[in-house]
Amino acid sequence: MTGRVDRAELISSLSREFALEASTDGVVTWCDERARRLLGIDAGRPLEEALAPGSEDKARRLLASAATPGERELFFMIDGEATSTCVRTASGADGATLILGAVGTGERASTITRMGAAMSELSTLQRESERQQRELDVRRKEVHDLRGSLDDSGRGMQSLFVELEEQSHTLREEAEVRGRVVANLTHELRTPLSSIVGLAELLESRVDGDLTSEQAKQIGFIRRAAEDLLVLASDMLDIARSESGALRVRDDAFTLEELLGTLRGQLRPLAPQDGPVALVIDEPADASQTLHTDRGKIAQILRNLVTNALKFTESGSVHVSAQAIDGGRVMFSVTDTGIGIAPDDLERVFEEFVQIDNPLQRKAKGAGLGLTLSRRLATRLGGELTASSVPGHGATFTLVVPVMHPDVRELQRLEERARAGDDGRAPVLVLEDDVRALFLYERYLSEAGFRAIPARSVGTARELLRTIRPAAVVLDVLLEGETSWTFLTELKSNPETRDIPALVVTVMDRERKARALGADEFHVKPMDRGWLLGRLEALAPSRNAARVLHIDDDEMARYLMRRHLAGTTYQLAEASDASEGIRLARALLPDIIVLDFVLGATTALEVLDELKSDPATRGIPVILSTSKELTPHERERIAADTAAILPKDRLTREVAIARLREALRTATARHDATAARVTGGVRAPSLPVARTGEPEGVR
Amino acid sequence: MTRLPTSVPDTEAPLAPLAARYLAALRAADADLAIRTVLDDGLKAGLGVDELHLGVIEVAQREIGELWQRDEITVAEEHVATAISQLVVATLYRHLQRDRRNGHTVVVSCPAGEQHELGARIAADQLEAAGYRVLFTGANTPAGELAALTERTRPSAVVISAATALALDGVRGAVAALRGLPGARGLPVFVGGCAARLMGRGVGEATVASGDARRLVALVNEAVMRPEAA
Repeated sequence: MTGRVDRAELISSLSREFALEASTDGVVTWCDERARRLLGIDAGRPLEEALAPGSEDKARRLLASAATPGERELFFMIDGEATSTCVRTASGADGATLILGAVGTGERASTITRMGAAMSELSTLQRESERQQRELDVRRKEVHDLRGSLDDSGRGMQSLFVELEEQSHTLREEAEVRGRVVANLTHELRTPLSSIVGLAELLESRVDGDLTSEQAKQIGFIRRAAEDLLVLASDMLDIARSESGALRVRDDAFTLEELLGTLRGQLRPLAPQDGPVALVIDEPADASQTLHTDRGKIAQILRNLVTNALKFTESGSVHVSAQAIDGGRVMFSVTDTGIGIAPDDLERVFEEFVQIDNPLQRKAKGAGLGLTLSRRLATRLGGELTASSVPGHGATFTLVVPVMHPDVRELQRLEERARAGDDGRAPVLVLEDDVRALFLYERYLSEAGFRAIPARSVGTARELLRTIRPAAVVLDVLLEGETSWTFLTELKSNPETRDIPALVVTVMDRERKARALGADEFHVKPMDRGWLLGRLEALAPSRNAARVLHIDDDEMARYLMRRHLAGTTYQLAEASDASEGIRLARALLPDIIVLDFVLGATTALEVLDELKSDPATRGIPVILSTSKELTPHERERIAADTAAILPKDRLTREVAIARLREALRTATARHDATAARVTGGVRAPSLPVARTGEPEGVR
Repeated sequence: MTRLPTSVPDTEAPLAPLAARYLAALRAADADLAIRTVLDDGLKAGLGVDELHLGVIEVAQREIGELWQRDEITVAEEHVATAISQLVVATLYRHLQRDRRNGHTVVVSCPAGEQHELGARIAADQLEAAGYRVLFTGANTPAGELAALTERTRPSAVVISAATALALDGVRGAVAALRGLPGARGLPVFVGGCAARLMGRGVGEATVASGDARRLVALVNEAVMRPEAA
């Protein structure tokens, strides 16, 4: 072995050049070692063998024009791959063509290929991005169309609301008419009745002379009869309300334990500890059973049942129990050990005005409307009220109500329907607590091709928003107990939900507003002397010899007032009609005015207007004396103008004095604070039906 | 061996001047000029994308091939020209008049050994415009890959593009691989491209789609839309 490397061999082995000669008909006539090695050809073989497919034409041309100078390109098969080769030609021996080839670097070839591949990929990516852009455009158009149909829905909803408004307006009108009839009837009954009671009490007080025992007894009868009739009138009012459908069922969630606990407190005064009849309210077996229904009404029914039971039980016990039963219901039982009810009468007791004739009934008050009302209420709650009895041993009244009020169950079904699966319809979140309104929304939205998803509270709505992206949100801003303005603000300040269109609606429901204004505050419970004296002690005797102007067209009422205030330091002036009242008010400038609400042709409102628009009389506090059942609207209006409202039917001397004192005290305070601006009347504010489709939100 | 067909269909004849200008831009390696020529003198003048595909770009590309054959340009120049044409075709994609999606998928592929994918690209774009969802595998796709993709995506047809005679073996291999798939009995397989006609009977169980991309789309429509007869 020689240490010296054979250069020629080395060059030969490394070289990527080759040389060969081929005849015009394409046969290799000579080739060098490198050609042999690189191309795998030999003399005598066709050149084609070494060529890559596609180069045959080129090679033929090349062989035919051997003398053409310059470089050409041929693709030879080298190591199994079609490889670019740069060739030069010259005329060779015997008319053959000498071909000198230089194989392109593998690198270069593969680079070109890679570049091609890269171009291809780029091309593909570019198309992909075009496709996505197109998708986006389609989506954008869809959203635009959706907005369009939402706008239509929005308009549709507005007209639906107008319809609703009109309907509820009509209903309200009818209810108002009915209410007015009942109220007027009640007033007509109450006015003379309360006068009778007042006068009888006056006689019994022996202020104007003593009575014989017989006279006292007779007057007692008169008074009690009148009182009974007064209670009857109240019950009638309640029944009328339940008939007119003005009975709203609330949706409360509470446990049996809570309900019975409250009841215990409310009923304790009716059955004193050491009395002949024990009132036992059991701990419920299913204390934590939760109900979704109107708590107040259930309590009202149970109170009625207990008072009845106590009325007809001379000794023994009245037992109240509650338990959950099958079918998702709860059963309340009120059992007494009283005189019982004859089998024939078990159903009759529920009829209006029916009172079973027995000694105890004759003793007790009541017109016989309580059970009627209770049964009506029970039905309204989706349940029933029944009675059973063993005459002489006692009776049991059973109230069964569904744990979930039918309206509430209907609502849950609605919620399930809404959430069950994506049916391709666009979801619309509806924040509204009135079940009936929700049903209407659901129906209307379904017809428009949307899926209504109900939420009855802001909390639920927030929760739903976490899993669903609605196409729009409908909210009622007068949700009971909370406001949805907060929710709306949240919706609009969150970038993820900002551009969900929100429709803000409200139905003008005066009853609700009135309740919010505290319609109950005008009832005055009968006060007893002890209470009154205590009040008078507490109040500083600031206004001695205060002047009172009493405006009332009812002679008896005026007489009573005179009697009430006799023996006090108040100076009384009287007017029997509106114009005289106003004249006297201006002339005397009394310290306080007591005004009858229904004054002949005028009403207190008009008198108030007169008084308040005159700067001289504006600051005089006004007490309204009335036996008319005020509508919430009237109460609102009056609220701002009067110091207090005094229900006439319970007008006792004590009450009159207390209220007068109260009013004067308030008036003094007002004067001191220089806040004696009282405008005439308060108009119920009307909230606009607004619609927002833009992200700016509602202010 | 016969020369590659270079005849220009008659309908394309009025576009010849435009094709010539486009070719000049390619030879000058001026991508901007090439794009402008096609967009301004082509699209804006009211020509359809398919007319530009077949009457301008493909014509010029075929001429480029000829020039290489005649050694008037090098392979590098040929690659640059092809790259520019790829770019132009990609730009035209956006302007295709599209039919609604017909719910069918077509796989378009260049077999192993076939580097020239431009013709396949054009065919793929025209198939997409006709409403197909197109899966394009690009140049030099191994037969196995094509078969796997077909099995996975269950297209309504497969198009194999043979632009040069180099691809013959690859085409055969691809067709065989496809026919080997279970359930590929009724699958329409087309072999298109300039070199298709050269294949003749040698392609195996596939339909030779001679002619241009328009014709290919028509053949695919016919095969896919008509009910499966044997």
